[in-house]
Amino acid sequence: MTNPHPSGESSIPVLTLFVTGNAPRSQRARANLSTMLERMGRGEVQAYEIDLLKQPDQGLSHSVFATPSLLKTDDDGEVSVLYGDLSDGDRLRRFLSDLEAT
Amino acid sequence: MSESDTKLSKRQTGIAGLDHATGGGLPSGQATLVLGQAAAGKTVLALQVLARAIERGEGGVFVTFEESPAQVQRDAASFRWGEQLLASDRWQLIDARPRFGSEAAGEFDIEGLLSIVGAAIGRTDASWIVFDGIDQLLQYQPDGHAAIDQVRRIDAHCEQHGWTVLLTGKATRDSLAPAHLEGIEFLLSATLVASAHMINQQLHRSLRIAKYRGSSHVADAMPMIIDDDGIQLPYHEAPSDGPALATGERLSTGIERLDKLLGGGIYRGSSLLVSGRPGTAKSTLAASFAAAAARRGERTLYVSFDEVEEPYVRNLASVGIDLGGPIKEGLIRFQNQSAYALRVTEHFLNLHRLLKDFDPQCLVIDPVSALLKASAGEEASMAIEHMIDVIRRRGITTVLTSLSGELDPEGEATQGQVSTIADSWIVLDYNVRAGERNRSLSIVKSRGSAHSNQQRELILSDQGIDLADVYEHGSEVLMGTARATREREDAAAARRRAREREQRRMDLEQRLEQTEREQRRLAAELQLEEEEFSETDRLERVHQERIKQRREPERDTPSAQEGKHEEPQS
Repeated sequence: MTNPHPSGESSIPVLTLFVTGNAPRSQRARANLSTMLERMGRGEVQAYEIDLLKQPDQGLSHSVFATPSLLKTDDDGEVSVLYGDLSDGDRLRRFLSDLEAT
Repeated sequence: MSESDTKLSKRQTGIAGLDHATGGGLPSGQATLVLGQAAAGKTVLALQVLARAIERGEGGVFVTFEESPAQVQRDAASFRWGEQLLASDRWQLIDARPRFGSEAAGEFDIEGLLSIVGAAIGRTDASWIVFDGIDQLLQYQPDGHAAIDQVRRIDAHCEQHGWTVLLTGKATRDSLAPAHLEGIEFLLSATLVASAHMINQQLHRSLRIAKYRGSSHVADAMPMIIDDDGIQLPYHEAPSDGPALATGERLSTGIERLDKLLGGGIYRGSSLLVSGRPGTAKSTLAASFAAAAARRGERTLYVSFDEVEEPYVRNLASVGIDLGGPIKEGLIRFQNQSAYALRVTEHFLNLHRLLKDFDPQCLVIDPVSALLKASAGEEASMAIEHMIDVIRRRGITTVLTSLSGELDPEGEATQGQVSTIADSWIVLDYNVRAGERNRSLSIVKSRGSAHSNQQRELILSDQGIDLADVYEHGSEVLMGTARATREREDAAAARRRAREREQRRMDLEQRLEQTEREQRRLAAELQLEEEEFSETDRLERVHQERIKQRREPERDTPSAQEGKHEEPQS
């Protein structure tokens, strides 16, 4: 899967949020992510969302099996994952640190 | 709810021992937990279940959370069933390893996984689904309860969608359950525990059915083997043959006089234990049995732990037993094994395979005590008991030899249970006397036969084995030169006694003859005397008459009348 850069800036990583429908944890993750991006001054960043109930094959190709999971793809193709509903704000902030508004 | 809704249905695993021990397999449409420490055989078990399903034309999904797909494929390739599994497109291998360096920021669900697997099941028409190393994913749950919940969720999903799942998880040092999954071992309907322990520097594997709700099952730890055929529970495979029919047929031991002592030989399908110290001709006796079977045209499997085929066959030829010929004809298969090379359970499995493959009527295990040596404790006795059971069911006539200690020729301590299980038991020994070692044979027991309890001398010559009647002298049993000497002495004494008797007989006959002669002589004398007496009597009467006539001349008697007429002329 190609990861087009939404803002056209080469330094911004791409975020993909894997969810399963409207499961409570998936909903919490969506909310927690947008709150954190807002707080970091990057409210304009939108995470791609993949619903594994609808697109199970996307889970296979990204090797993501737990939901919710936040996938971050760097410019150089390096991928990192943060599992869970993103309720641990410190960890989420650390995970997103390279999006921090300067 | 009707009974068919509530009735537990089972799905076969294709592992014969496990299917037998569970009475048909693991719960269908449910999840079964397989726990065990690292390298206990969990992944192999799961792969094998899948491989067997593929062989039956079914499909499968294997989700790996710990090993790489390449590693899983290498695992499978190391078994005989691996090739077919790897070549098949009826199963899907899903790499669900958590990414390296992943973190968790809160609790997560497993619905995504179930959705992905559901898609794969649709593609492969899977009958078995494996989640291998599920604990590797669940450890990212910040909370143990959440992890346990996921397992519950998987189980519920199985029931709902009719999935039959194997969940494997690594046991920790102190607990059966993986870390973060405390209590998981009793959560699902069925739990298997694989273990591997070192006992006397040997790896002992076992599989235990820790829980199986609603089903009877073998509860003991079942000895388990992992070899080229994968996992096997040799003692729990369903017996392939029914109980052997007892026949009255007797088979020769190859030693005519021993057959006589045993009441005509050993029963077909029975087992004979031959025990004795080193060099008491146990192997020779066993070989004689094998050679006799070959002469009947029957096949014998000869499992030897001590002997190497070539020198053994040559040595036997020197005592007139030909194994070389029957080996060439394929009537005897000589199988040399090293006792220490395998664990006793593996020996049992090997033997079982050989029996299936060669299908012999007769079997020799020489010596069976090597198996006891190969493995410590109960496992050996268990193996031998199962072995004898298998042999009996197949109706194979068996000679087991057993080495006993120098001080204890009947060596019950070293025989394990063999001596009680075997139908007949012959003890070979030496008798040392007058600078000679002579081999002896005695029958300790022989089930269903009248047998001689007398010790015999066993003689090896280039004509083979023979038995000599032992020489009983008072309470002693004499053999060898002592027997020969005693026999000679006794023979001389007997000859002497015979001569004396003859002499005495002749004496008496002589006396009898003399007496008879005397009797005849006396009888003759008596007759003579009687004749003499009667003549005297007659003359006497005549004389008396004359006197009377002279005194009464006129007496009117007829004779006197005549006389009177004549008288005047005189």
